[in-house]
Amino acid sequence: MLISKNWLSDYVNLEKVTPEDLAEKLTIRTVEIEGVSTLGELLHNVVIGLVNKVEKHPDADRLKVCHVDIGNGEVQVVCGGSNVTKGMKVALGKLGAKVKWHGEEELIELKKTKIRGVESFGMICASEEIGLGELFPQKDEKEIIDLSHLDFEIGTPLMKALAQDDVVLEVDNKSMTHRPDLWGHYGIAREASAIYQKKLIEYKPAKIKAGRKRKLSAKVKDKILCPRYMAVAMSGIKIGSSPSWMQSRLQSVGVRPINNIVDITNYVMLDIGQPMHAFDGSKIGDEIIIRNAKKGEGIDTLDGQKQTLTSENLVIADKNKAIAIAGVIGGANSEVEEGTTDIVFESANFDSTNVRKTSTAIGVRTDSSSRFEKSLDPNNAEIALRRAVELVKELIPGAEVSSNIVDESNFELNQGPIEIDFSYIEERIGESIEMGIAVNILDRLGFGVKVKGGVFSVSVPSWRATKDISIAEDIVEEVARIYGYENIQPTLPTFGIKPPANNPIRSLERKITEQLAYGQGYSEVHNYSFVSGQTIVRVGLNKKDYLELDNPVSKERPYLRKHLIPNLLEKIEMNAHRFNSVKLFEIGRTFDNKNIERQDTMLAVAFTQKGNDVPFYEVSNAVTDSLNNKEIEIISTSGKTGLPFINPGRFAEIKVNGTDVGFVGELHPATQEAFGIDNRVAIAEINLSVLSGLVLEEGSYSRLPVYPSVIHDIALVVDKSVEHAQIVNTVLKSNNLVVNAELFDVFEGKKLGESKKSMAYHIEYRSDEKTLETEEVGKIEKKIKEVLKKKFGANIRD
Amino acid sequence: MENKLKKLQDSFVKQLKKVGTLNVLEELEQDFFARKTGKMSLVMKEMKDLSEDMRKEVGKTANEIKQIMVGGIEEKKQELKRKKWDDVAKAEKIDVTQPLVPRREQGNIHTITQAMWHMEDVAKRMGFMVEDGPELDSDYYCFEALNIPAYHPARDSQDTFYIKGNEKMCMRPHVSNMQVRLLKKYGAPLRIAYPGRVYRNEALDSTHEHTFEQFEAFVVDKNITVGHLIGVMKELISGFYGKEMDVRLRPGYFPFVEPGFELDIKYTDVNGNEKWMEMLGCGLMHPNVIREAGLDPAEYQGLAFGIGFDRLVMLKYHIEDIRHLRSGDLRFLKQF
Repeated sequence: MLISKNWLSDYVNLEKVTPEDLAEKLTIRTVEIEGVSTLGELLHNVVIGLVNKVEKHPDADRLKVCHVDIGNGEVQVVCGGSNVTKGMKVALGKLGAKVKWHGEEELIELKKTKIRGVESFGMICASEEIGLGELFPQKDEKEIIDLSHLDFEIGTPLMKALAQDDVVLEVDNKSMTHRPDLWGHYGIAREASAIYQKKLIEYKPAKIKAGRKRKLSAKVKDKILCPRYMAVAMSGIKIGSSPSWMQSRLQSVGVRPINNIVDITNYVMLDIGQPMHAFDGSKIGDEIIIRNAKKGEGIDTLDGQKQTLTSENLVIADKNKAIAIAGVIGGANSEVEEGTTDIVFESANFDSTNVRKTSTAIGVRTDSSSRFEKSLDPNNAEIALRRAVELVKELIPGAEVSSNIVDESNFELNQGPIEIDFSYIEERIGESIEMGIAVNILDRLGFGVKVKGGVFSVSVPSWRATKDISIAEDIVEEVARIYGYENIQPTLPTFGIKPPANNPIRSLERKITEQLAYGQGYSEVHNYSFVSGQTIVRVGLNKKDYLELDNPVSKERPYLRKHLIPNLLEKIEMNAHRFNSVKLFEIGRTFDNKNIERQDTMLAVAFTQKGNDVPFYEVSNAVTDSLNNKEIEIISTSGKTGLPFINPGRFAEIKVNGTDVGFVGELHPATQEAFGIDNRVAIAEINLSVLSGLVLEEGSYSRLPVYPSVIHDIALVVDKSVEHAQIVNTVLKSNNLVVNAELFDVFEGKKLGESKKSMAYHIEYRSDEKTLETEEVGKIEKKIKEVLKKKFGANIRD
Repeated sequence: MENKLKKLQDSFVKQLKKVGTLNVLEELEQDFFARKTGKMSLVMKEMKDLSEDMRKEVGKTANEIKQIMVGGIEEKKQELKRKKWDDVAKAEKIDVTQPLVPRREQGNIHTITQAMWHMEDVAKRMGFMVEDGPELDSDYYCFEALNIPAYHPARDSQDTFYIKGNEKMCMRPHVSNMQVRLLKKYGAPLRIAYPGRVYRNEALDSTHEHTFEQFEAFVVDKNITVGHLIGVMKELISGFYGKEMDVRLRPGYFPFVEPGFELDIKYTDVNGNEKWMEMLGCGLMHPNVIREAGLDPAEYQGLAFGIGFDRLVMLKYHIEDIRHLRSGDLRFLKQF
């Protein structure tokens, strides 16, 4: 919403307040001001001139020599304007005016000059030359502004005539959704009066004297949806332009003038925030009915649209037809037009939620609907109506009230009083304040305050009572904000020094994140919690097992992720086009349709690399190293993955201390193909919620060995089905002097035979009691080899 | 005799000076000190023939000269060895500007995670617990418990995601769903922070996301004031930025606080102008919220604040498009 400083000055004296200060004070006391703009920066030394004489230029076909009355004399100017005529009122730039020359960046100061031999003492301006391009759109480059419609004296500075000697503040509408009272200039003026301790001029339009020519009535069907409906008819209307002062005001806050009646309704709305509507009185019946629309009822609206309504929507109707959508937009069938002579003003109050729902449902947001949505004060309906009638009488001589004043009023406001200890105000603010200051603040904001023995009895003004103010804390806020938050001393609450409890899952998340990123080279991604149906199908799962959003932003991603892997695979695919090696992980919540409360925190890891046919080991190592816990075990299972997107031949469970915490594996080649990934993808998923709940051993220490170890290598050829874990177990169990068996080489090849693989181990022997003799080690080694042969059919290589 | 020694010494010193390699040095050493043929060895042998007095006297001189000569050889040996390794070192010169090939892969922690941890750490140092909570929650905890009435626009389906077939459950639109839950769990007094992911039904474009990360915290105790709120905010934000920060409060509306504030921080833009930037929303907890948690608002009050991390991170790094944050694009992720 735009606020004009001049307009505010109708109600509060802000002469000594700079625009910048006003903007800042309003921002920190009331609502956020997003911008301050000074109008008419290019209008210095530009006045309204009257063209008295137009002659041809003796030496140039396209130029004219004009004699222009500027109030205190006449000046001669050479003009290239295509539309200049005798008797036209023009914007005359006097010597010294600074204008924008066509195509030039810098401003040009007008000086006395000779154009093709004829002296020129100024310039007749085109709108873009003096920054009025928006107000007076130029049809062509040569067109000058025609100001003949302005009824100001010749010589009046244009800045004044167009109300461009003004500063306009832009209010962030979002910062006043809770303040129905601020949606017009008077409300802002009230705040300014409290902030600057200036008198607020009372808003008191004259009472309306009823007419007798027409008998209007209103029937409100649902008194909750329409707490107040006022209407009055006026006759003797002549539709025309509104006066310049009103047009200028409207334009200064970005509203386009239409005609006197429409302008009046807009003016009143911008003045006190009450939307109004004017019907052509001849087009509607005498009985106005405020009712729910019939299902499927149609109405053509003023914006040229056709709306089909439901019974949720409220309409204004006469006996025969709907004539407006309540609080949102008027109907075309009752529009005020050029020949209109009778009007009916509507000034009403509608239920905020209903207006919002209707406006959302039909996709039409108007200045009216956005105000009604805020829960307006029903009392304003009456004040606005009075003001509108007053303005019609002022603007249109001969216009008069022709009907009774309809007022269907069914509202009750809770205006308190709210009882509040003054000490409570101080306690909540945390600052001692003079009682008089608090009373003064509340008084200027329109609250009634009675003080008795330190207790305030505060009555709430009607314009704050619709939803904004209802409890003692609201009163605290009113006092504190005008007192100034910057005047409150920062202090710190006192607490015992007990340390806060640790959060095991967040500690675990952080540890793993750091390990994976900085230790293992994986990058963390944040994926959406929503997954597409296509992706679910690609990983071979069933959409029916997923929770689904009722109203997804993107129709493509309506499901809540059950696993992190599927969305991670999309990122693997995307990045694999650019990088040879892609290592990603994510930690996030997952959702289970069978147990909606659970929402376990999962870790997912994925890796793919050009030319790497077995990425499994990279991920299994990354995961075990990151968890860095002796109790973690990778347990092979016989192909029962339970998840269709995993390669059953490359899958292992991860157990910690015997508890299942996740898996590591490779993507099923079919899934890999479905995602369009060229190379094998290794994946792992760990349930951190489960893992963090396990009580894990806190590290352990073994004494450094006193005696040296002996390391002998054993290489063996076994069937591919024999697992490393089995071999290691067997070796370690063969003798208690065997302390370690480390795999250092694996290979397969045609020479070995299709089903065979070769594995080579460093076997470490050590005693805690003596230095081992070669002979003794040899004996053990021989035995190990025998066991390996017997157990795995191993062929020991020498 | 002594003359002979002197001459020998002079000749030695002359030759030693000329020595350029360890081999030549070895030869020189042999020339003088070889047990049977060395010039010096021979002179020493001659001393047997001298009288005892002379032997004593000359012997002393001879020994001194020998010491000097041996010392000279040793010194020269060290010098030549050093020179040899210097040459080796020179010959081993490498291109130090070249990276490790192949490069060791380096991973990155998401910029939002980093910012979140940072804030979490500051809060922890100030004595806040950190807790997690459900992202899919009941409308009771998301709205009702927070003094957001049934007809409030925030509850509309164009703002909040609801679950099909379960209209009471929604994706939390703010982490404030934790307020009443935590107060019920731990009681008062309590200082607690609860970061996490939140969801709004918003069409995605360069400045709007439907998924983002928030950090919220509250203090509930007896006699909590607006002054406390300002104090805690100032400490927290200064802790976050690692320097004293100017903050200002202005009115802001959130149904679950009263009074409610927007908090701005002062920063200097690229042109050196001081400006206020909106950073977070905060306020004193609404008495209805305190009451909902089973506490008496006359006895306990609370201060609460909530920060969105996306905007903070975007401003810090001048990220032009919010969609990068959840794009999973390594070209983006690798920059943090």
